[in-house]
Amino acid sequence: MILWLTIGFLVAAVLLCLFRVARGPSLPDRVVGLDLLSSVTVGFIAVYAVVSGEMIYIDVATVLALIAFLGTVAFAYFIEKGGMPWRKT
Amino acid sequence: MNLFLANILLALLWVSLSGVFSPANLLFGFLIGYLALFVSRRAFAPSNYFGVVERLVRFIFFFAYELFLANLRVAYEVLTPRHNMHSRVIALPLRARTDFEITALAILISLTPGTLSLDVSADKRVLFIHAMFAEDEEEVRKDIQNNLEARLLAIWRQQPSQ
Amino acid sequence: MAQNLSAFLMFLGALLMFIAALGVARMPDLFTRMHSSTKSATLGVGLIMMGAAFHFGEVGMTMRAVAIIVFLFLTAPVAAHMLGRAAYFAGVPLWEGTLSDALRGHYDRRTHRLLSDETVQEQLTEGDTAS
Repeated sequence: MILWLTIGFLVAAVLLCLFRVARGPSLPDRVVGLDLLSSVTVGFIAVYAVVSGEMIYIDVATVLALIAFLGTVAFAYFIEKGGMPWRKT
Repeated sequence: MNLFLANILLALLWVSLSGVFSPANLLFGFLIGYLALFVSRRAFAPSNYFGVVERLVRFIFFFAYELFLANLRVAYEVLTPRHNMHSRVIALPLRARTDFEITALAILISLTPGTLSLDVSADKRVLFIHAMFAEDEEEVRKDIQNNLEARLLAIWRQQPSQ
Repeated sequence: MAQNLSAFLMFLGALLMFIAALGVARMPDLFTRMHSSTKSATLGVGLIMMGAAFHFGEVGMTMRAVAIIVFLFLTAPVAAHMLGRAAYFAGVPLWEGTLSDALRGHYDRRTHRLLSDETVQEQLTEGDTAS
């Protein structure tokens, strides 16, 4: 019962992140949404590992936690070094 | 540092003598070794080791408490409908000097109540932070300098007092 | 007992992540959104991982959970710092309720260097308005 409540909260969190990704208004805002989305996914995989009783899913969560950080850093680098399509100069 | 190696050696000795090789037992052996070294500390030359460990443990507890408060405060701000924040970008003069000290301080600032480190100036003297609850700018600055920074730097800077 | 503790920890973690996501969705500007996502999300994932470690109760699982927690606590502030710096530099507007902005004029637009107070003072006295 409490596990389903846990999953419910995580699904709501994913939806709120997607709202921010869709809404913007600027590229960094979307990246914040994506960053949080990846964190929520790591948590989601861990909860799913417990629900299904398969320990192997935790490895997936580990890899995702490693990759997501690189993604955010790459986006930050991109934003700083020139990609600013919302700026009208 | 030598005492730290001796402590690890004692932990390994405890594991091999008790015959149970598990992380929990290794940790237990480390604790017992630390106690043994602490009891016999007058037999060695004065060392920073015990002070560093004590201050580190104190700091971890202090920081866990701060992290808990940070989450409660941000959660309250998110859940209440009106925004009564007073956000500012603040320049914080640094007492931390080396890269390691500045990095540690910046990470810890990002994780504590309503503050987020944005950037360090190129000459490493000023840290710019974004604060969420900063009605009084000076108060936030003093709070970080006297609590977080002072405690963090004291861990390895303070000399043994024997 | 261990099962109840694990379920409770995971529930608390999920609640924190929900609050973080709510903060990201309804905070007024980029920087306050990042406050919400760095703090609550790291602690939330940490709690969920601790819950999973308690549930399985194996050494390898506990090590993995500790590794993920340590990694997140080290990387989340770094990611926030890089993104915040890039966003400020790219000119993302601050919330209109922001009381003061100590960073204004401290960036060298051309070289991407961040100047400290003294250097800016010198430049301003030379009659050169930075930014």
